[in-house]
Amino acid sequence: MPRAPLPEFSSSVRLKYVKLGYQHLVDNFVTFLSIPVMVAVGLELVRRGPQEIVGLWRALELDVIHILCSVFVIVFVATVYFMSRPRPVYLVEYACFKPPSNCRVPFSTFMEHTRLINSDEKSVQFQMRILERSGLGEETCLPPANHYIPPHPTMEASRAEAQLVIFSAIDDLIRKTGLKPKDIDILVVNCSLFSPTPSLSAMIINKYKLRSNIRSFNLSGMGCSAGLISIDLARDLLQVHPGSNALVISTEIITPNFYAGNQRAMLLPNCLFRMGAAAILLSNRRRDAGRAKYRLVHVVRTHKGADDRAYRCVYEEEDAEGHTGISLSKDLMAIAGEALKSNITTIGPLVLPMSEQLLFFLTLVVRKLINPKRKPYIPDFKKAFEHLCIHAGGRAVIDELQKNLELSAAHVEASRMTLHRFGNTSSSSLWYELNYIESKGRMRRGDRVWQIGFGSGFKCNSAVWKCMRTVKTPIDGPWSECIHRYPVHIPEVVKL
Amino acid sequence: MHTVLSVDAMDLLWMIATVLFLYSSLSFLWKAFDCRRNQNCYLFDYVCYKPSDDRKLSTELCSDVIKRNKRLSMPDYKFLLKVVVNSGISEETYGPRSIIEGREESPTLDDCDDEVDDCMYSTLDELFHRTGISPGDVDVLVVNISMFAPAPSLTSRIVNRYKMREDVKTFNLSGMGSSASPIAIDLVNNVFETRKRTLAVVITSESIAPNWYCGTDKSMMLGNCLFRSGGCSFMLTNDPSLKHRAKMRLKCLVRAHSGANDDAYSCAMQNEDTDGRVGFHLSKSLPKVAVRAFTENLQALAPKVLPVGELALYVIRGLRHRLRRSKETKAYAGTAVRVNFKSGVEHFCLHTGGAAVIDAVGSALGLNKYDVEPARMTLHRWGNTSASSLWYVLGYMEAKKRLRRKDRVLMLSFGAGFKCNSCLWEVLRDLEDGGAWEDCIQAYPPQSLVNPFMDKFGWVNEA
Repeated sequence: MPRAPLPEFSSSVRLKYVKLGYQHLVDNFVTFLSIPVMVAVGLELVRRGPQEIVGLWRALELDVIHILCSVFVIVFVATVYFMSRPRPVYLVEYACFKPPSNCRVPFSTFMEHTRLINSDEKSVQFQMRILERSGLGEETCLPPANHYIPPHPTMEASRAEAQLVIFSAIDDLIRKTGLKPKDIDILVVNCSLFSPTPSLSAMIINKYKLRSNIRSFNLSGMGCSAGLISIDLARDLLQVHPGSNALVISTEIITPNFYAGNQRAMLLPNCLFRMGAAAILLSNRRRDAGRAKYRLVHVVRTHKGADDRAYRCVYEEEDAEGHTGISLSKDLMAIAGEALKSNITTIGPLVLPMSEQLLFFLTLVVRKLINPKRKPYIPDFKKAFEHLCIHAGGRAVIDELQKNLELSAAHVEASRMTLHRFGNTSSSSLWYELNYIESKGRMRRGDRVWQIGFGSGFKCNSAVWKCMRTVKTPIDGPWSECIHRYPVHIPEVVKL
Repeated sequence: MHTVLSVDAMDLLWMIATVLFLYSSLSFLWKAFDCRRNQNCYLFDYVCYKPSDDRKLSTELCSDVIKRNKRLSMPDYKFLLKVVVNSGISEETYGPRSIIEGREESPTLDDCDDEVDDCMYSTLDELFHRTGISPGDVDVLVVNISMFAPAPSLTSRIVNRYKMREDVKTFNLSGMGSSASPIAIDLVNNVFETRKRTLAVVITSESIAPNWYCGTDKSMMLGNCLFRSGGCSFMLTNDPSLKHRAKMRLKCLVRAHSGANDDAYSCAMQNEDTDGRVGFHLSKSLPKVAVRAFTENLQALAPKVLPVGELALYVIRGLRHRLRRSKETKAYAGTAVRVNFKSGVEHFCLHTGGAAVIDAVGSALGLNKYDVEPARMTLHRWGNTSASSLWYVLGYMEAKKRLRRKDRVLMLSFGAGFKCNSCLWEVLRDLEDGGAWEDCIQAYPPQSLVNPFMDKFGWVNEA
């Protein structure tokens, strides 16, 4: 796949920088004006010396009333200032579903089942080739209904899978945080391919007996990037309701989505999607700031649906025989790259350090005024983040992104290892990756994490988190029993 | 003279510092004030879906469709017809094309897409045309269609069709039942409070084509008889400069979720029957569950909606009632203290779940025939269009020129979960659009609401 040209990328960044600079100048005009004034006052005070300052103070003839009024005004203005700032959103804790070992699907099981279900030898061979190059390991899991020959995709089985994955994750979260279900104010659930009525959010409210005035939302059909859409929605809600917490559930239910036909583009999800779920507790309460793991800094959403090619690249449709499945187009890599570029141009100015921004600005000035031939400076995004969590959509996606963003193997290790151990768990994969980084003991206080999700639509969503306390290992999570074996070397092709 | 004119450098600095200080404090105060200005949610406009006439479900057609299900025995057939005959709906309601054309048992994905596309695109085209807003200006897009959620989502379908911006915030709500309209409004309202000058478009509808039940379980056949095609697109904004063109302003919104109770959760549920066919099960405990959810919602809503005088009267009446009850238990055992909602609300948009539901809610709120007329007429003309029914009821009121400036409109809906959601609007100017009711409003209310099915099939009530 040819690499997308970089200069085109820098020109769109340039305009945004100019705009941003202008905005900064105008927004903080008062600050810019008051700095020289304060500097002058400071110098004057230093020049005059302490005796003269005391004399001046006496000369002002301030009595108690004046002082009280000034103190009052200062306190009042400070309060208004602090109240008008947006509330910080903290991630208190999160828990990922750990699939039971009886749901494991090693390569041999997968191939055996495929041969028994699918009569078309070409399809079987195709799936074998996909599995060989997929980057998946032998411990990924499929739900119990998919272990039947042929699979048993009933609504009851789908609900059973939803209950298994979601309730396990929530129970885990409750155990870790001591959260009381009646204390939850906001509930956001995202599950793309299974949407029963009543919704999964109603199912959770029923099981845990949540309050009747809870604000619940159930997002569906929004693809693998929906986890960050839920976080975005929870953040908006937390900005509006003070002293609240939000439970966000990200999952994908595999049971109803087994593709029973032979179209190649639609067989890919069978090979890659696996069971997984994550439960995340967000809060804006000041008392949670002490025990929170992360603080949400930015969420940036990019929707490329206006472009027909992007819209069609992950598409649910019926094949000629009437079997429904999700077709992945060949353009997927290119479109993912373009969507990521768009997302980066928006998030870049928000996260890049002053040094990078200044360098870019200076190079821009030099190019405009002095030497047009000077090469444009491409900001180094790796300087802005310590850790990256890229949606483990598939090996090819991770390879492509590693090339595009010029990342080292260490940066994409979390994504590759999550793909190997858990498969593509759709919207919850970002949380498994974060858990990997924590389990390896690499998460320190002050570290910034960039989570990137891609999904049907075509959307690319990013979230930036800042770590608030060093995470000490060993931690209790889905990686607890196998983290010592990782990282593993994943060969290009695993011969089956 | 010398002392007045010679301004010391120090004095000048103090003056500048004071001016800057005042300026910054004033700008902070302005910011705080400005924040509050964003907190209004205005209903800019709404468009109800009017399917084409070839999709009308006549008496004959309904009977034919029911007969096509060869698994039904004579008692089942009679039961279904009884439901249809007593439903309070006319021959003017609409169904999906796939059912009319005989494909109800095996609709294709294209059928489902077409049904939803027709509704979304026709209403959105008209909405953009009437408001003069271009799709590129939309900041937030919400779709709620409970029983159909393809990938890519319906919001992506709309973004693709109308070429919306890359940074549009989309939310595709699904599975949230017939009371999802206030939920979508709640979502948009919350986003509005965090951003200035934002424009949101919400599409609410239901998908019937993929959800036709072709088994023999009675509790699941009710859904087949009651749901009809319908939808609505509406535009919300918090931009104060658009206030003069807006129709209504949101005053408050209350959501009550009784899902913690097992009966409530399972009373309206999508499930497989004993033969493995998926249908929408409506249990016998539904009315009781609805009453409980309704009460919870009203308990939270009343203080926000009713004037202080009425609330005080309620408290006094309640105390008197309790005193009387403690003295003469038998006489007052069954009665309850009623609150007069009409003191705080002029118009009631009730969810058209069925004739019985409308009557029950109407009597609980102390409403007369005039107040429930819009809901009854909507049920008659459009059937139960699920989440969008509230908007048809609103359309009736507007077409009848009932909505005057400063009137308050209460929207009340129920849905699977079990939820009862309500929202109160204030009308900003006299409203006169005919909308989807334009061509038939003159004929309403009709002389008789007797179902045309009664002529042909009235015998089912006797047997």
